[in-house]
Amino acid sequence: MKTCYIVAAAIALSLAAPAGARIKLVALPDRGPTTIRLDNPHATLIEEERVLTLQKGVNQVDFSWNGVFLDEDSIRLAVLSPTGKVTLLNVSYPPGEQALVWELAAEDACEVTTRISYLLLGVDRLVTYTAAADKPETRVNLKSHIVLRNFSGEDFERAQVVMDGGVTVAESTAHEETKQLLFFNIPNVPVRKVWTFDAAILPWDPEQLNTNVGIPVRYEIENAEKAGLGRNVLWSGKVRVFQDDGRGGTILLGEDRVDLIPVGEKMKLYIGDSRDIVVTQRKMREQSFNHRRNNAGRVVLYDMDEVISVKMENFKDSPAVLTLIQHIPGQWEMKECNLPYRREEAGRIEFDVELPARGMRELTMHYQRRNVR
Amino acid sequence: MKEIRQMSAAGKGALVTVVASLLATPVRAKVDLVTLPARDRVQLTIYNSADLTLVRDQRTLTVRQGQNRLQFSWANTLIDPTSLDLLPRAYADRLDIAALVYPPRTRQLGVWNIVSRHAGPVPVEIAYLASGFSWRAFYMGTLSADERTMRLEGYVRVTNQSGEDYENAEVRLIVGQVHILDEIAALARREHPYGRPPLPRPIGRMEEGIAREVGGRDSDSGLKAAMVQRAMVAAAAPKEIIKEGLSEYFLYTIEGTETIPHGWSKRLPSFTAEGVPVMNLYRHDEERFGPQVIRFLSFKNDKAHRLGETPIPGGMLRVFRLADRQGALSYEGQSDFKYIPVDEDVELNLGAMETVMVEPKEMDFRTDNYLFDQNGDIAGWDETREWKVEVRNARPLRVRMELHRHFGTPHWELVNRGDVGAFEKVDLDTVKYTLEMEPVSKRTISYRVTTRHGRRAEEMGEAAGTVRSER
Repeated sequence: MKTCYIVAAAIALSLAAPAGARIKLVALPDRGPTTIRLDNPHATLIEEERVLTLQKGVNQVDFSWNGVFLDEDSIRLAVLSPTGKVTLLNVSYPPGEQALVWELAAEDACEVTTRISYLLLGVDRLVTYTAAADKPETRVNLKSHIVLRNFSGEDFERAQVVMDGGVTVAESTAHEETKQLLFFNIPNVPVRKVWTFDAAILPWDPEQLNTNVGIPVRYEIENAEKAGLGRNVLWSGKVRVFQDDGRGGTILLGEDRVDLIPVGEKMKLYIGDSRDIVVTQRKMREQSFNHRRNNAGRVVLYDMDEVISVKMENFKDSPAVLTLIQHIPGQWEMKECNLPYRREEAGRIEFDVELPARGMRELTMHYQRRNVR
Repeated sequence: MKEIRQMSAAGKGALVTVVASLLATPVRAKVDLVTLPARDRVQLTIYNSADLTLVRDQRTLTVRQGQNRLQFSWANTLIDPTSLDLLPRAYADRLDIAALVYPPRTRQLGVWNIVSRHAGPVPVEIAYLASGFSWRAFYMGTLSADERTMRLEGYVRVTNQSGEDYENAEVRLIVGQVHILDEIAALARREHPYGRPPLPRPIGRMEEGIAREVGGRDSDSGLKAAMVQRAMVAAAAPKEIIKEGLSEYFLYTIEGTETIPHGWSKRLPSFTAEGVPVMNLYRHDEERFGPQVIRFLSFKNDKAHRLGETPIPGGMLRVFRLADRQGALSYEGQSDFKYIPVDEDVELNLGAMETVMVEPKEMDFRTDNYLFDQNGDIAGWDETREWKVEVRNARPLRVRMELHRHFGTPHWELVNRGDVGAFEKVDLDTVKYTLEMEPVSKRTISYRVTTRHGRRAEEMGEAAGTVRSER
């Protein structure tokens, strides 16, 4: 049983009915072509065409709804044809009703094609992605779905569903129905796999722990034309990442939620943690020097001499590039460092360390922090 | 008849049904014509770091040219509806899977709208994520009488609490930490597959349906008995587990197929390694373990230790020892260990050991080199301690002893006296002595440590953390 509806009623106005006891002479015009615009993730715009039969003079068109949530102030009426012969005089809201009344002046009796637009609550869309990586993890098939959720109270038959990027499909959607529609499917999108150890986040000495310390692993996919993407932004949504097992099957690598990715930027998918790369970091030296004292002999300013040693082990059968992030607060000067680094921020440096398969590398970093108070 | 029986059993049992409806019926009108194609093949990929199983269910559908609806429904089993995927295994270029619809006022049901330019049978794969399967690894170690080698046996135990009986399923186990955002069971229990948009509930609409939980169903004892019998026959020849690395995971594929009815577990041998050389290491580290000596059994996951082909999934190892020539066993202890990559050292904490003792004694203490500030208050000083650490091995076996000594400050100088075994600076305030102990023996190490405090520490410079030896 349909309990929710939107009704557009054309009322031939012959008597001035008193407010609060309106007697409606209703001719229900059929809903014409309807568009559900899902290109805005925060609100869904419905545009529907109705043909109204107007008499010469002033007509009242009653638009009412029940059991649906629509934004009253968003309702608009546009006359599509005939143009110039119908004038919208005013809009009024009857008391105690979910309705509004348009007053239209027609030059002649005629059939008028109108478009009624409104923001309808309870209908929206989600975006989901499925990335299926090849076995070497160099390329992915990236598939995206639009999920149309209709909990608006209203059924739509053969509506034009306008999605992001102007993609339009004709779909019916019933109240309480969820529908998953293919948005795009792009094969062979290049992907880069990245391991990251951030010394400010992860424990330094995994031997001291009873659980494995996972090194976060990310896939990076560029939203660019060279990757087969780059035509539109990629909307935020949940991503499930699978990998080809080389024998016709797949495994689930993990899932992540991504924010909106503008064209030219990277989608960074955290897919899980690696336990086959082990990083052990230790501070081997921490000594203050160059003490400067106040008149009472108290040290007010000094420098620190520090040595950090990092052992990076790769237990995998394949090489890996580890991004190692180190933090050195305040003013500092590197005295000796056996691996090249780049200074990303004043207090953050990063190393890209190539770890051979089943191999190990060590970093020794000797720096001095200046003018510590 | 089988199809009809299975359909009628759907109410009480857990059943996944595939229904091809070839009539252009409205979505809400349910199904007019029903066929239930049998499973051709089913593959379960079970994770142990999360309640998650990837099910790949292969069936052969019969489609007609034009519009087809394929209804997939499940009851009493926890499947994440948002994970449903339909993949044609043939005629992919002639089938357009236009949409997957979750009709209103239904639960545990999805309908694919398929436009086909082919008529006839089509093999398809339906993939989804399900809850209720789990597996864990566990191990048994049997030490030789001299405790120098160990027979290591690995097992996996697969448990099916999914609500569904899986007959002749290919079983694959995933070793590794998977990152997922939502629990599959929670997604499966949702009233609407993707939830609903945030807004007040529509007036006059009553939500229907209460989530039906898995479990509590009548079991078909006859079917299970047959399955168990088959499983027992299969167990007569132990199955091989094929292991391979994929991304950050290790994939264990159990040879052939397994039948695992709902509610049952199955124990499968994973590997056996004979004569794994092991080292008994006894560690004393007051900061970590208190005054007790902790026994570690160590080996390496490499070829030299007759292992090293694959990582070893974390699990509990129960260690026994051959007590006599008749093969009687004594229980040595157990240890829960973490995932061990290939080539990494394994250290199993078997707990406190009373037959190896460490007694540190502070033999002398003095302070010196006081500095005073302008007010005459103490501004810096040195503390010097003489330590003797006596180590006794009461076991009739040779053992390796590791002593960790912490100084609590980076401002120290150390003088080792006499034979202290192998010595290593671990970090800025910790050193380690390693001693090889003969059976039933005693050794003593001696050292003097001077720590600097206050302004004396500031003046320490390059001397901090230095070590020298005195005979």
